[in-house]
Amino acid sequence: MNRQEAEIRLKNTFGFDHFYDEQWETIDLLFQGKRVLLIEKTGFGKSLCFQFPATQFQGLTVIFSPLIALMRDQVKGLNEKGIKAKCINSEQTSEENSQTIQDALNGKLKILYIAPERQENQEWIEATRRMNLSMIVIDEAHTISVWGHDFRPAFRRIINLVKLLPENLPVLATTATATKRVQEDIERQISGNIQTIRGELIRENFQLYVIKVQSEDEKLLWLAENLPELEGNGLIYTGTRVNTEIYSRWFEYLGIGTTEYNAGLDSDSRKEIENGLMNNEWKAVVSTNALGMGIDKSDIRFIIHTQIPASPIHYYQEIGRAGRDGKPTKLILFYNSTKDENGIEEDFKLPKAFIDGGRPSIKNYNKVINVLKQEQLGERQIMKATNLKQTQVRVIKADLIEQGIVKEVIYGRSKKYEYQFNAPELNTKAFDELREQKLTELSSMIEYVNTGNSRMKFLCDYLGDKSHNHYQNCDNTTLEPFTLNSQQTTIQKLQDFRESYFPELIVESKYSNIVNGVASSYYGVSSVGAALHRSKYENGGDFPDFLLKLTLKAFRKKYGQEKFDFIFYVPPTESGDLVKNFAEKLSQVLKIPISHKLIKTGETQPQKVFKNGYLKKENVAQKFSYSEPNELVGKSVILFDDIFDSGATIKEIGNVLTKFGVTKIAPLVIARTVGGDI
Amino acid sequence: MSKELTYWLALAHVPKVKTKKKNEIIVQLFEQGKSVINFFESEYSVWEDRYQLNKSEVELFIDAKKELSNYAFMVEDLLEQGYNILPITSQDYSPTLKKNLGRTYAPPVIYTKGNLQIMKEKSVAIVGSRKANDNSLEFTDNVAKNASKDYKVVVSGFAKGVDKQALDSALKYKGQSIIVLPQGIATFQSGFKKYYKQIIDGDVLVLSTFYPKAPWSVQLAMARNPIIYGLASEIYVAESSEKGGTWSGVMDGLRKGRMIYVRKPNPREKNANNILISKGGKAVDIAGNLTTYEIQDEIKSIVSEPDLNNTEEKIIEFLKTGVFPAKKIVDTLKIDWSSRKVSDFLKNRKDILTVKGKPLRFAHKDRSIQKQKTLFD
Repeated sequence: MNRQEAEIRLKNTFGFDHFYDEQWETIDLLFQGKRVLLIEKTGFGKSLCFQFPATQFQGLTVIFSPLIALMRDQVKGLNEKGIKAKCINSEQTSEENSQTIQDALNGKLKILYIAPERQENQEWIEATRRMNLSMIVIDEAHTISVWGHDFRPAFRRIINLVKLLPENLPVLATTATATKRVQEDIERQISGNIQTIRGELIRENFQLYVIKVQSEDEKLLWLAENLPELEGNGLIYTGTRVNTEIYSRWFEYLGIGTTEYNAGLDSDSRKEIENGLMNNEWKAVVSTNALGMGIDKSDIRFIIHTQIPASPIHYYQEIGRAGRDGKPTKLILFYNSTKDENGIEEDFKLPKAFIDGGRPSIKNYNKVINVLKQEQLGERQIMKATNLKQTQVRVIKADLIEQGIVKEVIYGRSKKYEYQFNAPELNTKAFDELREQKLTELSSMIEYVNTGNSRMKFLCDYLGDKSHNHYQNCDNTTLEPFTLNSQQTTIQKLQDFRESYFPELIVESKYSNIVNGVASSYYGVSSVGAALHRSKYENGGDFPDFLLKLTLKAFRKKYGQEKFDFIFYVPPTESGDLVKNFAEKLSQVLKIPISHKLIKTGETQPQKVFKNGYLKKENVAQKFSYSEPNELVGKSVILFDDIFDSGATIKEIGNVLTKFGVTKIAPLVIARTVGGDI
Repeated sequence: MSKELTYWLALAHVPKVKTKKKNEIIVQLFEQGKSVINFFESEYSVWEDRYQLNKSEVELFIDAKKELSNYAFMVEDLLEQGYNILPITSQDYSPTLKKNLGRTYAPPVIYTKGNLQIMKEKSVAIVGSRKANDNSLEFTDNVAKNASKDYKVVVSGFAKGVDKQALDSALKYKGQSIIVLPQGIATFQSGFKKYYKQIIDGDVLVLSTFYPKAPWSVQLAMARNPIIYGLASEIYVAESSEKGGTWSGVMDGLRKGRMIYVRKPNPREKNANNILISKGGKAVDIAGNLTTYEIQDEIKSIVSEPDLNNTEEKIIEFLKTGVFPAKKIVDTLKIDWSSRKVSDFLKNRKDILTVKGKPLRFAHKDRSIQKQKTLFD
């Protein structure tokens, strides 16, 4: 097919008159059965480079994409054009996914989007034995490289697959962000005479700003006064899940319409927020960087980062989601440059901590290796046998598989990990190299913050785009920098907010009468944690009175003047009567009788010994009872504890009390930890 | 190599085409220094002309070619799960299997999990009924014990009775073992769980020659028997009835000229062991040793003087100079034997290798082993 013929068909199916040269170049190569790596900025029209050929091929085109939201959008768009496309991902029911697989097998689909993780699914693998495949596409191809900014182990299998595919089967890898090193890594991995097409990365409508602040409060204050003034709708990226909650509550307090989004939400809530974002329901969505990748919204007018990303590539990728309509778009980055007593800047710490904590210790690797040398185990069994967090086990597993020490074997519906005969020794050198690389990238991000030259030029240079453009549109060139100059009333509002903001404890479940509770503070974010620690572990005596005041305030905020029949407290494991004494004080002030009849029926270990939720749950299961259950029927009670971590203890007690007939169990704690596992 | 595996699976699992035909293609490719990819990427006319495929075979290979990307998915999945895929050209492919089954029967691809080195060791197959009696099980234990002591690998078929005993005994005596599956390798869940430790310690190799996802079936169980024999340097029969897998396997082995040791049963035992002995099996006692009669027979042949006037010796000496078919031997030595008689004589000699193909060719084991120029010889 020549270009002219192709463009006639393009007009008929997609409604466009012509291809860009680089689009046609790509498509032409695919028609010849070649392998292509296409690096083009967001908004270039990369999707058309596989969607169009897919409609012309006789069989099925499979697109591996890590972005569920993007799958959904693109499938919708294709279906509207009458092109038969579907997707398979974890947000659909297994019936929906099975149906899609059947459709693909029966030749009813032209395009199938699928998450790379699906390569581990036996139903899918079975189906691939019979599909009529015409082309394979790897979307967001930078994720196949460990040198990329968002490496995903699941893509390792896709790469292995591509290496095995017959010659002459067209393969397209696309990405908007790849440094030269990542490009070369992708080329090497996909192999087989791959041809790379690279476009320019400049985004001329971008207005780039950096705002240096001296405290976390200054960020909140600036946003309070300026967010409503920004044009249109946008995204606010906070570095952590907890911050999505805090920022979101702050805006709520101010009456600015925002909502929070993070990977901890269930898929229905996520979909709802994504839809709301599309319909501009809020001024901004406050999110971790889990949101936005691949969302097909062309008019995101601003993206604000309250923490620096891990590298300039991360930053370019994350802001790349904005302003796809080409209209002026503001990209604002906060940086708290206050130095601590060691001379380290505050906002350097979080990304540095991610790098430091990103890789488990070698000791933990060996723990996993050793248990797998004894028997084949599933993920949960590994967690139980090693007492490691799920996140750690996952990182370790991925590395061990990568190094050929362990294999993931699928038997029926269960996944087991098997140590391999003649497995190589753990190679830790690779970890060190990666760590060095990440530290270098982070310091480049700091350079971006501190640069006095064009910010867009900095990003393009960093990403290996050496074309000669006229770079402007930033606070170092043609734009007036933003300043900090908060009004006293805003400062007062923030103080009020700080004193009235209490974290929620999410514990509700279908089979228990426990309700979501409240904590007076986060453990690590305030002086509360330190006070608790002194009392519990440094013989500091009873919990101080300021905690009592704070806890009472949290109680009133959450439960108002609601009547309760009893206050219960969690019987202690090791810290003596601290919790009991505190509960007694609460009882006196609230004038709710305290009961000491909630008892332990078996030994438990302190929960903090266990690093993952399975073991915490096991530790407390069936360990609680109540000495006079008859008095509980129809009662409403407060359940008090000092620290809430995974919630396993509170939930277990909730179950026990529900069985005894308690109609409402309302949790109240002094502090909630940040980042409780699972 | 891994890219080729996709094509190897497509070749190995083309239905309705004989193994021999597939191996002839492989031999040609090997001799021309080409890969299986070259074969699939050739014009169909080349398939007909050079590889002598008939019309219906060409059709079957066209279908196989269409499934290449499907095989790519399967290969990726198998490798990811720690299975080895060994084409017959691989250095890791069992040399014993290749030698014993030759181009007519050697499977073009085998699937394994575990220590590949096991396939390079001397090996003993112990076969017999699923409902074997105690004598047979004791015999099996003895043979496995001796084998393990001599660092020989025990090959068995993972059925009940003798097979199970062979495996258990080999492991009990700290020996190594090959489990030959009557099913595809990816369907052996319970076994991989049970023998996990032995596999990762390098004491057990699991092997299958079938389509990886094929479930157990009677047909596969029967088809597996020749593979067990093929993997073994020595074959011991604990117990056989006059029909069934063991029987047909032994008969097949005898037909192919394999040396097969059969346990001499007690007079009261009801089995077909004696019949197998009468058909050419070598009788052994419950400890696995040759019975007196057989030993005398062996000694006789060892102590007899070389006499070049003797036709038999002439043939043997001649074979030390090269690899020849029977007819060539008759013609060159100008002996008054028929080619058939030469063949029958040579097939039963332990010191002579039979080279599969038409016509059969023979070689002396002492002949210095030259660098491999052909795949099977």
